[in-house]
Amino acid sequence: MAETKEKSLSDEKPKPRVRPIVRLGIFLISHSFHFSVVCCTAGVLALFLLPVLAKNTYISENALMPGSASPMLSNQHVSDGNRLVKDLTNPNSKSSETGIESHKIIAQYMLDLGAEVSFHKFHPQMNQFHPLHFFSSPDSGKIQENYSCSSYGINTVGIIRAPHGDGKEAIVLVTPYNALKSGFGEALSLGIAYSVFSLLTQVTWLAKDIIWLVADSQYGEYAAVAAWLREYQTPKFSSLSTPNAEMCPDVNNLFELKGHSISGSKFSNSFRRAGTMASALVLKVRDQNEQFEDTISIYAEASNGQMPNLDLINVVNYLAVHRQGLRVNVEKLWSLLNSSWLKSLGEIFESLAKVAKSLYPKWKFGIPATEYVEGTATLASSLYYQALGVPTGPHGAFRDYQVDAITLEISPKFSLDKVWRNDILLRGGRLIEGVIRSVNNLLEKFHQSFFLYLLTSPSKFVSVGVYMIAFALLIAPLPMVAASLYVDANSSSNCSKGDSSTPSAITDTDEHSIAIRSWRWLNSAKLVFIVHLWGAIVSLLPYFISQIPDCSPTTSFMIWVLLSILSLLTLNSVLASPLACAKATQEKEWALVKSVTISSVFIGLGLMSVINFATAEIGALLMVPMCLLAQPLKLDVRAGTLRSFCRMICNLVLGHIAFPPAAFFLLKGMLDGFGNANVGDFWMWVESLWAWNSATYLFIGMVQLPCWVLCISILFHTC
Amino acid sequence: MEKVKKKIGSFSFWNWVTASIIFRLILIYFPKNLNLSSRPEVSTPLTSFRRLAEGYWLKQSFMSPYAGSMYHGSPLLLSLLGPLTINRIEGQPNHLLYSLVSVIADVVSAMLIRATGQNLRLAYLRSLESLDLVKQIEVSGDIAALIYLCNPFTIVACVGLSTSPIENMAVILCLYGACSRLIPLAAFGWVIATHLSLYSAILIIPVIFLLGCGPDSPPRKLFLQRHQQKEVLNQSKLPPRFSWGPVIHFAFWAFLWSVYVLVLCGISLKQFGGLWEMFKSTYGFILTVEDLSPNIGVLWYFFAEVFEFFRNFFLIVFHVNILFMILPLAIRLRHRPCYLAFVYVAICSMLKSYPSVGDSALYLGLLGWFVNELADMQFSLFLFCGYVGVSLLSPVMHNLWIWRGTGNANFYFATAMVYACLQIVLVVEGVSAMLNHDRKLRNLITGKPQDAKS
Repeated sequence: MAETKEKSLSDEKPKPRVRPIVRLGIFLISHSFHFSVVCCTAGVLALFLLPVLAKNTYISENALMPGSASPMLSNQHVSDGNRLVKDLTNPNSKSSETGIESHKIIAQYMLDLGAEVSFHKFHPQMNQFHPLHFFSSPDSGKIQENYSCSSYGINTVGIIRAPHGDGKEAIVLVTPYNALKSGFGEALSLGIAYSVFSLLTQVTWLAKDIIWLVADSQYGEYAAVAAWLREYQTPKFSSLSTPNAEMCPDVNNLFELKGHSISGSKFSNSFRRAGTMASALVLKVRDQNEQFEDTISIYAEASNGQMPNLDLINVVNYLAVHRQGLRVNVEKLWSLLNSSWLKSLGEIFESLAKVAKSLYPKWKFGIPATEYVEGTATLASSLYYQALGVPTGPHGAFRDYQVDAITLEISPKFSLDKVWRNDILLRGGRLIEGVIRSVNNLLEKFHQSFFLYLLTSPSKFVSVGVYMIAFALLIAPLPMVAASLYVDANSSSNCSKGDSSTPSAITDTDEHSIAIRSWRWLNSAKLVFIVHLWGAIVSLLPYFISQIPDCSPTTSFMIWVLLSILSLLTLNSVLASPLACAKATQEKEWALVKSVTISSVFIGLGLMSVINFATAEIGALLMVPMCLLAQPLKLDVRAGTLRSFCRMICNLVLGHIAFPPAAFFLLKGMLDGFGNANVGDFWMWVESLWAWNSATYLFIGMVQLPCWVLCISILFHTC
Repeated sequence: MEKVKKKIGSFSFWNWVTASIIFRLILIYFPKNLNLSSRPEVSTPLTSFRRLAEGYWLKQSFMSPYAGSMYHGSPLLLSLLGPLTINRIEGQPNHLLYSLVSVIADVVSAMLIRATGQNLRLAYLRSLESLDLVKQIEVSGDIAALIYLCNPFTIVACVGLSTSPIENMAVILCLYGACSRLIPLAAFGWVIATHLSLYSAILIIPVIFLLGCGPDSPPRKLFLQRHQQKEVLNQSKLPPRFSWGPVIHFAFWAFLWSVYVLVLCGISLKQFGGLWEMFKSTYGFILTVEDLSPNIGVLWYFFAEVFEFFRNFFLIVFHVNILFMILPLAIRLRHRPCYLAFVYVAICSMLKSYPSVGDSALYLGLLGWFVNELADMQFSLFLFCGYVGVSLLSPVMHNLWIWRGTGNANFYFATAMVYACLQIVLVVEGVSAMLNHDRKLRNLITGKPQDAKS
């Protein structure tokens, strides 16, 4: 569109016949204000309509066939599981300092079933900021230093080889377990896994190997699973390895001891592998519960808003609801559930749907207001966790290796009697068995269903094709406004030259006008480039600040702010000095700067929508109005009309809100109240973002912050 | 890319050259983190460094370097660059020597571009003078050289250890030789460029025009009109007519150089199947599009989809595409051979079977020669944003497809198509801006006397 208008204006000779597409472009650009208002409103409205537009999930992959076989998990297996739970909760097993005893018990149980057992020793790896790791693939080449023999974890791994399988594929079952301070819930999750495991050693239908990973969660569940996965997927071949767990004498002793004490030939000290992972389930049982019925919560968000294939969630949801009678839950933003405006919005949509239905009975898109509110709360949390880019559980580690994984958290209505415990063991076990049996049927990896979706309830989803519309509507005004500003700036400069804008201008002895004509935006592009360069520097600064020892979050944040301002000033004085003189000569300079800024924001948002849609959507809600409204305050003051006054107020408000830390504190205040806000919180939050290599961090540093700076510079432009 | 243009005012040319070299050297020290040499945008089957190393290794173990369809480059490159793939200096990055060669190739190319640009500028000034038009013009040579050096594409191709800096240097050498009428050099550049990448062969047309009529100038018709107006036919001010002498000279040298190159190749491949083997796995590999791994071009996707039965037919169609455009462009732009060369290079990099960003770097650098003529080019902002957007989006889509597994081939191919479209827009707008420029000159001379300064 930009080009069509540009073309039409810069054509010197008036052409009698204008192509329709050119005419359309001219029309769009000349009415860009109305279009942007309409598009932005439609975009926001479409976002709120998403819960209404959500579709019911369905099993897309035929091979899965969930629930077609009757569960084989019997009371015998349940009592096996119960035995393990009892042994683990037995106070004798906790006597050991390192909790090695309970690992031994688990290993012994696995061996008794005839599974291959091995221990995996790992050092918890601190998450660090690696500025260049955003773009590289998961690699094993991380040099690990400074191991101390005192801190290591032990994962217990049991593998069942499929009797008819070729050993090329595997299904992983993960139960986080902290041997040192395990609650009853963790023991129970081990019990469930064990009962399933004991069943699977006997069945004949198994086509994929089963790996049961008891992840040592004393250094966090994620770290343990990630360490095991790294070892599994990227074996190290170097013989002269860096000091690792095997070199520590005490660890070796423990394992010597274990090797002797555990009977059975299937125990090995080396790392055992099965085939490529088809999918993974992380099983947890929560200790306390306030629910009135047995519920199962699904956590699916992995790093950078990646989701597992929808079919996996579908299978779990189908089996849990229709076979085991469990209530399935996905995360919600609870604070939204009681908001009255959302309720009234839902009622409006409901009554609209009723009207539509009375007009034409086939239009059935309405959902009840309460369902709408719940859907919105779920959608909001889905957006929030995807936007954060931090995995919501140990399943996130699998996604880095393209393995679909989810975390299932069973929260039973709690009472400690044995009957109840057997019941939850039976139902949970049958659920896991059903899921494993379904995945076992898969011929290829999950590919049929969606990867890009948002959940509005466990059985409803919004696919990429629908939610992209809301986003596209929101950012559609950006190129239009950029084009119209660009054309305006160019044409006004042509007009100011008067007659000389005829073809003869080329012969002007004033050499400046020649190069400037169509390349005038280069100056603005340079400014925008410098600010983005500054954004990159600001994003890199925390890497150096975090090296300073003993720095409280508040101080670090202050250092960061100071250094950022300093670097901006330095960059401006070094690189942008010629701009100042150029600025004076061009009156419409700000329009060009705004045009280029909007173009860069458009590119940034478009890029981010591919990497992490949720971040882009939230960022667009903040940045699009700010970019579109930005105009020098001086002009508005001079104009003095009501419209310009409103615009000024909007600009000032948006200028405050869109500043990333301000936006953060505002959101935080809305969610947890303003009482305990602390400057250091932002630093902590940012630290968590880069520790998880979240692209949101890069987005804030390299798109949003520069955009904010540019908009502010436009606001205070002296024209 | 074009941003550089304005900065010249404040910083001297050489400062920027040094800055760009230092920037390359810094990047060379982080090769592991960037992992550029394995990016599909940078290293194609023809320009990949790893394949070069493999070919060298095969040759060292007395096997044909083309065994196993790994290496598809020239045997001369193996002899010249091969040893650099295994030479290491203690404590330095692995491929430091090879990287340094790339950096040197880039700098030499930039200097040649600068010299050619100065030639072109002189020619332009001379022709304006003889048309009695006074005009201050930009120093296009410096701008073009800086665009070439500071272009992220060039830097990526250089740091990514691909062989495209060398190929580009050969092309630029050819144009430089033709512009400054160093016929043996031009022939050498052309032969080497054609030897390294087949598509440069069509540059023979601009080179013939360059040698025959001299560098870019307004159409000859204009000069005649101008002088008819003045009614004094000053032969010395007219551009020379087409002369066959230098062309024949060029043909002779080209023949000589190609025989020389073929003999060298033959010697180096004597035990491994000889020249036929070489032609089959270099030119044959290019023409039959055997390798369908994704790249930034459009052919891989198409030939992955097409039925085996129709493959030959479509191979012909796609390659004839380039040939179709040669003649009309040559007729329309015959008075501007350097610009014609730019257009040819751009078209080739759009339609060739294994394009990389190094090819784009070349034509964007050449574009800098014509800043004066293209001052009125349309869509400049759009093109600029498009290039920035696509070059950021393409790796992301690749990541989505290959590493995350949530996307598919269509995602990546979409960016390849957008990229191809951008190149088409660039060529179309560039050519029309150039023709408009000629039209304006004609108007100045014939139509509007009040505007012309005579």
